[in-house]
Amino acid sequence: MTSPAKGMSRYECMKLLGARMTDDALVILSLGGSVDEWYDAAPHMRDASLFQQQLGCVTPEAFGLAVGLPHRRIVSLDTDGGLLFNLGILATLGNEQPPNLFVVVWDNEQYQSIGGPRTHTAAGRVDLAAIARGAGVEKAFTATTLEEFDAHCAAGLAATEPYIVVAKTDGILQPGIRRKHSDGREDKYVFVRHVEAIEGVTIMGPSEHN
Amino acid sequence: MRADAVEAVLRGLRRAGVSVATYLPDSLLKELYPALDADPGIRTIPVTNEGEGAAIAGGVFLSGKRAVLVMENSGLRAATEHLARMGLGAGIPVVMIMSYRGELGENNWWAIPHGITMEPLLNALRMPYRIVREVDEIERAVVDAYAWSYSAYHHSAVVLGGGLVR
Repeated sequence: MTSPAKGMSRYECMKLLGARMTDDALVILSLGGSVDEWYDAAPHMRDASLFQQQLGCVTPEAFGLAVGLPHRRIVSLDTDGGLLFNLGILATLGNEQPPNLFVVVWDNEQYQSIGGPRTHTAAGRVDLAAIARGAGVEKAFTATTLEEFDAHCAAGLAATEPYIVVAKTDGILQPGIRRKHSDGREDKYVFVRHVEAIEGVTIMGPSEHN
Repeated sequence: MRADAVEAVLRGLRRAGVSVATYLPDSLLKELYPALDADPGIRTIPVTNEGEGAAIAGGVFLSGKRAVLVMENSGLRAATEHLARMGLGAGIPVVMIMSYRGELGENNWWAIPHGITMEPLLNALRMPYRIVREVDEIERAVVDAYAWSYSAYHHSAVVLGGGLVR
């Protein structure tokens, strides 16, 4: 007999987060199952979300976006595997203190997209929120219930300093959801055109001669 | 690094519209980092490794601002994973300025791998680059790197070598 799954449903967490957001905010998210889940859980955020396949790049890219757009709320949807790949970004966030960056770490204690081998958080000793606090991000917390997670989303989306919530999730992919069909290149164009529209800027403009 | 070379890099970055610099400092460009810190038009972000610096620069690109990643050429090895995913996978460009450790004239045994691996890695990533050894070529090289990267939406590099950095 298998034991019941531990942790929250990531999909339910995403619905709570999405309900608190409009496409005035911008999202960078990680690879794996969370891509299709966010695509379905927050359809109003599709154009405002950069769907990528970049282990270790997600929170650094979101921080770069936050530096470039200091007046806008930026959300990083990272993962345990992705953050563990580049823990140094936590020290950079601790030093730089971006006031507009909210980081959610989906911690399902496994590399889910390749079948579920455990990550370093699975043994129960590695505490990503504690590492973040030790790196100088004082507002770094772990959420184990939907109520806690929702409260951290409210606080993180309104914070004026970097805010991290590590969401302990159950590793169960939401069944029956629609798959995203586009690749990273198409997703980048969609995202950049959205940023251009809401910021009134040109990022990828015309060539000298058309 | 020669003072006139530092000034030429800053002129190039200004002409290219760069307002953010991520860096992991090295010895050959050591005079450049405080000059970047002191430039009122540039926000500098020291990083823990060059891959992180590349990813931050990629995020800055997505905001509509322009960034540069400054490092020793050994940083290219640390950043290759991030550069491959962003550049070859999504077309998110990063412009780099790097020192040429390990070129002819190198007198440190530990720097020899940096010279041997740099150009094969640049070519593996399909990144055009210009190796500059004269001060009067620096500014144009930096401006040209941005022109190319913002047409190709891929990475490019300016490598500072020879008497510029020794």
